[in-house]
Amino acid sequence: MTKAEVLAKLQDVFDSTFVETVIVTEELSANDVEEWDSLSHITLIVSVEKSFGIRFGLGEVESTRNVGELADLIVKKVGAA
Amino acid sequence: MASTELIDNTILKSQILSKDPVFWQNLAERTRQTSDFSEVSVLSTFRRKALSKGFLPAQEARTKIKLAVIGGCTFHPLSDLILHFLFVNGYDCELWMGDYDNYIWEVMDHSSGLYSFNPDFVLLIPPVWRYRYSGKLTDPQSLVEEEISRNCKDILDLCNRINTGCGAEVILCNFILPCYHDPGSIRTRTLASEWNSLKSLNMQIGLQAPNYVSICDLEFLAARTGGLRARDDRGWFETKQPFSTDFAVHAANEIMHTIQAAKAPAKKVLVIDLDETLWGGIIGDDGLNGIEIGSSSPRGECFKEFQRIIKNLQERGILLAVCSKNELENALAPFEKHPEMHLRRDDFVSFQANWNPKADNMAQIAAELNLSMDSFVFVDDNPAEIEMVRQFAPAVSGICLGADPSFFIRLLKDSRFFEPRNITEEDLVRSQQYKNDEKRMGLLTSSTDINTYLESLQMVAYANDFHPIDVPRLAQLINKSNQFNLTTHRRTESEVTELIGSDQVALSFRLTDRFGDLGIISIVIAKVVEEILEIDTWLMSCRVLKRQMEHVVLNELMTRAAQLNCRKVKGVYIPTSKNQMVKDFYTNMGFAVTSSETDQTEYELITSKFEPFSTKISVIRGSNDKS
Repeated sequence: MTKAEVLAKLQDVFDSTFVETVIVTEELSANDVEEWDSLSHITLIVSVEKSFGIRFGLGEVESTRNVGELADLIVKKVGAA
Repeated sequence: MASTELIDNTILKSQILSKDPVFWQNLAERTRQTSDFSEVSVLSTFRRKALSKGFLPAQEARTKIKLAVIGGCTFHPLSDLILHFLFVNGYDCELWMGDYDNYIWEVMDHSSGLYSFNPDFVLLIPPVWRYRYSGKLTDPQSLVEEEISRNCKDILDLCNRINTGCGAEVILCNFILPCYHDPGSIRTRTLASEWNSLKSLNMQIGLQAPNYVSICDLEFLAARTGGLRARDDRGWFETKQPFSTDFAVHAANEIMHTIQAAKAPAKKVLVIDLDETLWGGIIGDDGLNGIEIGSSSPRGECFKEFQRIIKNLQERGILLAVCSKNELENALAPFEKHPEMHLRRDDFVSFQANWNPKADNMAQIAAELNLSMDSFVFVDDNPAEIEMVRQFAPAVSGICLGADPSFFIRLLKDSRFFEPRNITEEDLVRSQQYKNDEKRMGLLTSSTDINTYLESLQMVAYANDFHPIDVPRLAQLINKSNQFNLTTHRRTESEVTELIGSDQVALSFRLTDRFGDLGIISIVIAKVVEEILEIDTWLMSCRVLKRQMEHVVLNELMTRAAQLNCRKVKGVYIPTSKNQMVKDFYTNMGFAVTSSETDQTEYELITSKFEPFSTKISVIRGSNDKS
């Protein structure tokens, strides 16, 4: 799976998680989205795991700084799976 | 699978945009069909999207509740799941969440946000680490028992403080048992193992919890859905999640169910088809020796076991009725003559075997039992019959059993229609009471003069101020009575308890006759406002209609009014879809209309002008005071 494909699929996940419309870009981070707080974060990450069929390790997601890095992590995980 | 889901979501989205009211029905249906966390999250987002656009479901039949959540974990996303399930089941829930692991302080300190929020329900999720046994596997049993009792007491103490502090009902989560192999088979041989000690704690909590506590039985739920999948260690260490996300869906559903059970009446009657439901084959065609029932075949065993389960329900106070397309004589034969039948004719309070449409028979049963059809559950193997009843008697809930009798028991036991909240003694004898009603009906048809009949019943009414021992039954009546209920004001057990010893008039009436004790069958609650006694609640079980019981109640109430120096008594009738029966009740009782609006009519009765009714019921006052 390429990073572009991952980002496109992430757009679907964001659409079904947030009420407001959020455009997925590599630079996007929680600070840019009002609804993206520690609470909706949990829902978001579980949805990402479900839709890519992966599971993040302890602390892995926390170490990513934006959606681009999250996508890199997903590419790595999907490749390994 | 994926593509249909996508289409459904696309349709739901377009329904939000066009504000199509069917959206809310679809949303509820989709929610009911899933237990997948991501799926529910998506649906919850749809709900919030719709609400953020000011698009609301139809407001009738929605109930507002206030729920506080406290405990030793984080509450999101559990809280959002609870809100979502409550919402699609008709509850608008205002939510207050305590801080992480701050629940003990929140409960102890009466100036905490918990109490200023003034919740109807408090969900308490104690963290397992605080209550697991702290000693060694080899500790003597008495030492472990002591700690378990102390933990149980601590937890129930918190519940008590909550209830006395704000009157809320408490929903208490018990503990998921740890599904690791360690310490192996010794797990079951010492009370000190985490497995056994938590199991014992759960059991003690359940056995000792007072009626204002409902247990959210996570131990059971995890056993049902898979113990290993119930918790998620990463979720705990990262964000203090109490459950795995999928288990959170089950827990949220259970919590919604608990709230629903406290607010909405349970079902009272199981209406049962016969052929291919209670036995295999068609009695009219196959005859007594041809039907499948009992140990002669696997199918016969299924039907027999299904009958035993139904018999258990009956012993728990659920009324049974037959509704079958059959000749009466054929239908009766197995109950009277077949040795393998668990159920007998006497187990049924109504027996409709004829060729009328089943919806008509439902109405007939409802009339005989004086119960409304929304307390009925109908089971039938035939989907067409279920559908027919759904269309023509929509208040009745249906369970379609299908063709394979090995599924019947699970379908019935997982229907969740017959879950008693608190088992009151009267539940256990109610079935017997209705049987006695059948006898009373027989007596009525054979005696021509109603007064002679009433006299022959040798009725005695016991008028009492509300008493703590009666609280479960009082709350049950207040929350279940729909027809003979002037205002349909509901009250929780805590609210009922608050009336005891208050300056309000809160009277309960028990009725006995020569066939037995009918239990508490009428309630009246009123308060004095400037020399006027205002009736807030007046309700009566329909089983005692036409027995002059309402006259006894009014006589008592007017006596109280005089004692309290009230010049008059005021009553109000608030119409609902179910209480047409008492539309003219106050007029019939001699009250005068003082104002009339579509949503309520007000009445009054001047105390000095009241002439007590003469009745065939002798009245005994204050019998509870002696108990």
